Amino acid sequence: MNIAGPDAAATYEAARRRARLREKLAPWLLVSPALAITLFFFAVPIVYMARMSFNEKIDQRFYVPGFTFDHYSSLLTDSAFSNAIWTTAKLSFGVSIATTLIGYAFALLVWMKPRRWRFMFIALALCPMLISEISIIFGWWVFFPRNGLLSYVLTTMGLLSDKVGLLYTEYAAFVGLVYLILPFSFFILLSLFDGIDKKLLEASSDLGASPIVTFYEVLLPLTKGGIAASFAQSFIWAIGTYATPSALGPDTLWTIGYLIQEQMLSRHNWPKAAAFSMVLAAGVGVVMMMIRSVSAKRTPING
Amino acid sequence: MVNATVPSPMQVKSNAQAGILKFSSWGFVAFIVIYLLTPIIVTLLMSFSDASALRFPIREWSTKWYGDFFASPQWTDALLNSLMIAVGTTVISTTCGVVAAWAFEKYEFRFKPLLYLLVMLPLFMPGVVLGLGVAMAMGSADILGYQLYGSRLIVMLAHSLWAIPLVFMLMETTFRTVDHRIVEASYDLGGRPFQTFFEIVLPSVSTGIVSSALFAFVISLNEFVMALFLTTRDTQTLPVLMWLSLRSAGTPRLAVASVVLACTVIISLAIIMVWHSRQLRKAQA
Amino acid sequence: MSDKYALELVGIRRCYGSVVAVDDVSLAIERGEFVTLLGPSGSGKTSTLRLIGGFENLDSGSININGKRVDHLPAYSRDTTTIFQSGALFPHKTVAENVAYGLRMRGASKSETEKRIKEALQIVRLAGYEDRYPNQLSGGQKQRVALARSMAVRPAILLFDEPLSALDLSLRLQLRAEIKRLHQELGFSAIYVTHDQSEAMAMSSRVAVMKQGKIEQIDTPSNIYNLPANEFVYTFIGENCSIPLRVSGGQAFDLSGTTLNLSLSSSLPDGEWRICVRPSRLRLTCRDGAENRLVAKLQFVEFLGDVHRYHLKSGAVELFVDQPGEVRANPGDTIEVGWSNADMRAYR
Repeated sequence: MNIAGPDAAATYEAARRRARLREKLAPWLLVSPALAITLFFFAVPIVYMARMSFNEKIDQRFYVPGFTFDHYSSLLTDSAFSNAIWTTAKLSFGVSIATTLIGYAFALLVWMKPRRWRFMFIALALCPMLISEISIIFGWWVFFPRNGLLSYVLTTMGLLSDKVGLLYTEYAAFVGLVYLILPFSFFILLSLFDGIDKKLLEASSDLGASPIVTFYEVLLPLTKGGIAASFAQSFIWAIGTYATPSALGPDTLWTIGYLIQEQMLSRHNWPKAAAFSMVLAAGVGVVMMMIRSVSAKRTPING
Repeated sequence: MVNATVPSPMQVKSNAQAGILKFSSWGFVAFIVIYLLTPIIVTLLMSFSDASALRFPIREWSTKWYGDFFASPQWTDALLNSLMIAVGTTVISTTCGVVAAWAFEKYEFRFKPLLYLLVMLPLFMPGVVLGLGVAMAMGSADILGYQLYGSRLIVMLAHSLWAIPLVFMLMETTFRTVDHRIVEASYDLGGRPFQTFFEIVLPSVSTGIVSSALFAFVISLNEFVMALFLTTRDTQTLPVLMWLSLRSAGTPRLAVASVVLACTVIISLAIIMVWHSRQLRKAQA
Repeated sequence: MSDKYALELVGIRRCYGSVVAVDDVSLAIERGEFVTLLGPSGSGKTSTLRLIGGFENLDSGSININGKRVDHLPAYSRDTTTIFQSGALFPHKTVAENVAYGLRMRGASKSETEKRIKEALQIVRLAGYEDRYPNQLSGGQKQRVALARSMAVRPAILLFDEPLSALDLSLRLQLRAEIKRLHQELGFSAIYVTHDQSEAMAMSSRVAVMKQGKIEQIDTPSNIYNLPANEFVYTFIGENCSIPLRVSGGQAFDLSGTTLNLSLSSSLPDGEWRICVRPSRLRLTCRDGAENRLVAKLQFVEFLGDVHRYHLKSGAVELFVDQPGEVRANPGDTIEVGWSNADMRAYR
């Protein structure tokens, strides 16, 4: 077949354009299922919630279309709500410090110990991840009360003369939350340690540094970024978790998550629940922005 | 050599430090092991209690609560719902996540960083926000007479909001390890993109796909905050039912439910891992 | 445009940013021809091959295969197959499945596929290896499977992308001879990319020497070797001694200005020159009537097996001479080097 004349050239041009178009459309076709789900079940609901948060709440109806800032301003004016923000922040901050500290020590230990221990430690750290949050709550729920295992063990060992009930205290909420979030810190930090050459330690002690000096001079500077990442990640998890603190903590331990759930399921106040959700989502967004600006390294968040 | 018998003050100090560190490291191991195992052991013990109340010490041991669990249609239905939703989530999120990750690895296109952020963002959103948003926005949605709210499908899709970014993230790194030369070789021999993807690309990333599918499965099986907002009595998952009965009154049946849920996770992990390693060995034989 | 060409490139061009990788290359390959693209790395030979195979898009120009324009078609729609440097066998498929892949993609029937697999494996002498996996094969065997896989679909043209460069020397020579034999027996059309000039010389019907995205010369191996079009081709193909000098008033000087004891049979115009001669064509004895002579001092002698290599120096000029037979001089001796006009080229 010879290609000659304007007809052949036009056919060729058309075929070429079709090929280019196919090349351009292919990635969009592949991304479309994930994109569709994200748009319809994430982006649309967020926009819908944003609109809902300005609606009015009158009588027993879920919401009345309108435009008011009341629900947002109530977070500042109503002390019950503003306390909840403060409580959430305080609790999350404490939990993040604890998970990062314990996670750091645990990761350091797994990294330093001989390899044959490694599998066992990692399996152990996976436990909280493989178990449902509800099962974790339940476990601590029968551990802490007056008739729980803790109290029983302490009294039979003679350490306490009377039964002790720690359920529904901030202490129990704290222990439960740390348990839930610890593996995330641990695995972030372990992957960081795994990137460090162990010979650095030998080199440092060869040069006469004691273990503690080596830690401050060598390990800590190398793992600073990971500590920040672990802290931020824990914080994001902690502020969004409401079941654990509300089930294990005292009735007065109101977190934002708890408020959202209460407004939605018990009070049927949709606009308020939406407004609180927007504030929580914004909080997560702010922390993510902070991670983005702090760590230059490629993480899931900063692509 | 002479010096070796007389340690310098610095060495003494260093040795003492090392000793203390060694001692405290074993202390820490004990702490972490006890801490991580406590809720598991407590639950296991409690599930074999004969009593009706959740209290220690356990006087009588029995498996009666296991019998009770499996005889109760409410609880077995909830387990079944959980399994169906988890399988659905796994299928949806693995399919979507894998093809999206392939697009990101293979092609250059506009808005790529923005799309990346959009797909990843839900992973960092609290379940309560996602669940509430979907419940509000889709609460009255029905498609061709199919009531979306309260269906298992809506829970699968909501769970996929967490599972898709996870699969996507894992597969993106996995696809980077694919030898692009065998992909070119396939095109070269006349394999169209579709055939190449299924015949050449997917088999070389099977381990990545199996592990990300497992992640999706476990996440969906265990999740209960979103499911709480999105299910009705008929579609309730096991974790949701556990949460609701924890709020009313607890019996050792809850402990049994915990054990059953954890066993489901562990057994699925084990089955898939054994199956997959056997497949791999067959391919290499 | 004619059907007699298996492949025709017309002014193809490809840029990466500001780098022109392939610059206005035109080339026509007749059916059954084996053409080699030879050049240093970065000369655009692999880019040219990838453009033909369809792995890259043209910026301008056209590619015709068997008279049909194909440059708008993706790789999988072009009637070409490539033998990659790494082999690129599918690791999860057996040898037979690898060879069958292209046939299946083209919708060949089951019996036809079976027949062709058998045939292709016999051709590359791997009958009986059907059920092995690539990781159970040696490097040479992998390349043979790659060859069988590409030949089984009987493409209009076979593309070789440095297929031997990852193998060690003895295997390379062996497979080289085998590809040559296959070409003679089967008469396929092929383009072969390499940076190894001996490979190019040994196998090709024609060689195209490339530099900076352009074809410098395309001709038969013997013409490339004996009648190089320019200094680049001359120096890239085969070993070469270059004598840089300045001619002024019929007298030759080295670049530092020292007078060279050089007599050329034909006088060069004034200016700077480079005189090139192959070391194997230089003679240490002048009895056989060499037209051109240079007196130089012997520095040292290397033993290379068949020949001795004499390193000589005259003023700032250094050169080496390959000579068979016994060593007949000692370091420090003054020797006369001669060569004939036919063996000499002068470039400025």
